[in-house]
Amino acid sequence: MSIAGKIALVTGAGTGIGQGVAVELARRGAKVAIHYNQSDAGANHTKQQIDEFGGDAIIVQANVANKQEIERMVKNAADQYGGIDILVNNAALQLNYSFFDHDEASFDRMMGINLKGYWQCMQAVIPYMKAKQKGRIINMSSVHSKRPTDFDVVYSMTKGGIRMLGRESAIELAQYGITVNTIEPGAVDVGKQSARESRPIITPEDMEKHKKTAGHIRNKFPLGRVGTPLDVARLVCFIASDESEFMTGSSIRLDGASMLL
Amino acid sequence: MKLHNQIVFITDADCRTGSSLIRRLTEEGAQFILNSRSGGAAIASELTSIYAAGSQAFVVNIDLCSRAEADEMLKEASLQLGTVDILIHNNNVVMPASIESCEEERFLQSLNVNAKSAFICTQAAGKQMADKQSGKIIYISSIHAEKPTGSSFCYSASKGAVKMLSKEAALVLGRSGINVNTIELGPVEGDNEKFRSSLSTLYNDYEYKVPNAVLGDYDDLAELVLFLSSGESRYINGSDIRLDGGFLLHYMNFKMKRP
Repeated sequence: MSIAGKIALVTGAGTGIGQGVAVELARRGAKVAIHYNQSDAGANHTKQQIDEFGGDAIIVQANVANKQEIERMVKNAADQYGGIDILVNNAALQLNYSFFDHDEASFDRMMGINLKGYWQCMQAVIPYMKAKQKGRIINMSSVHSKRPTDFDVVYSMTKGGIRMLGRESAIELAQYGITVNTIEPGAVDVGKQSARESRPIITPEDMEKHKKTAGHIRNKFPLGRVGTPLDVARLVCFIASDESEFMTGSSIRLDGASMLL
Repeated sequence: MKLHNQIVFITDADCRTGSSLIRRLTEEGAQFILNSRSGGAAIASELTSIYAAGSQAFVVNIDLCSRAEADEMLKEASLQLGTVDILIHNNNVVMPASIESCEEERFLQSLNVNAKSAFICTQAAGKQMADKQSGKIIYISSIHAEKPTGSSFCYSASKGAVKMLSKEAALVLGRSGINVNTIELGPVEGDNEKFRSSLSTLYNDYEYKVPNAVLGDYDDLAELVLFLSSGESRYINGSDIRLDGGFLLHYMNFKMKRP
């Protein structure tokens, strides 16, 4: 299951799931473009982890709500490495505003990053993948593309949109040898987050609360633990590899069966 | 009459689903708030029948993506008719667009008309309903909230977003006695043109892919909307109801019922 030498772009790779994905791809020999937007501290930390084992990574910056910035970022990564083979769309905004507190501006902002941003990052890498008649696009969605959050209506609307974006693009991009798949992680322990607004899916504090209210953790997570970025990264590596060549338009729930409870 | 004096807000009165809904719900005694881009011109005959039935219609033409406009309009409507009992969001604009070449403006236009309007109207009408602890919200969506179109990804992505809006609202507003559901309609006559695709064969022989080889129409939709608007559907909440005669279950071409 080799991805050695492949060129990957991972958005939102300075924290949490994106960081775990970038590090694991690099550990398996991929050349990784680590994307961040606001603060490069996280991206530097990701790169540092990769440097430690002698992996190959660069850092790229862009506001993924802006098409020109996306194009600049993708060109930058592709110029340095010679194309893009794997896109992991992961950069997303979660504001956690209550149902009536969301407004037009927060709707636009979240859609702009989470849905439009995913689509335009895909659009930007297509020419490079088309040139090689091969490519892997992996969209990080959430269990909340199907099951509501009960804490952020617009977040799950963006994920519902991503679900169809993945299904549509699978049939459209198949002619270019590009596969598009969606991962739907459940609760993932991403440690402490630095950015104020981009709250992780579940914080350590939430986990404490969960434990208190839900009793034993198996009452919420049958395997007895929440997910880790590495769990997600391993699935990304499989989808990114040649072994997954017949898989496209799939959505894989990765939640330790917690949604089945 | 199942909807006697119930106030129904239809977000796109001018389209074909709008006129079918108006006709059917008028028979059941509903009063209407109608958002009409033509300012009522396109629904002149529907309005005549509303008035002939002794019902009232408050015809407006607002930007459904503006919460301020929606709030202001509903406030005005409440003075004339009362607050909304039933919200029917039926904006469905299909614009051909490919992932590879679609322009940003087109994407946003589609997202706004199909999904953002649903969100804003849900907030505005949902507030009125929550205040009185009752109400019904129905989104007229499409089988393409599930099945890719192969021609109009902005549309299916928008309807995928509405599907989740419906589920979130079913939880949050459900606690205030409001039922929120989605109808995933299709195919009706002409959808093969609307969703013409060089990638998907879904609409080839589409009328025969419906097991009984009879297409549904907007009157079928109106019957389901009436049911979901009535007290009979009190336990239906957060559902996506596929209204397609079994079309999406199609698998074996040679078994199609042909004339």
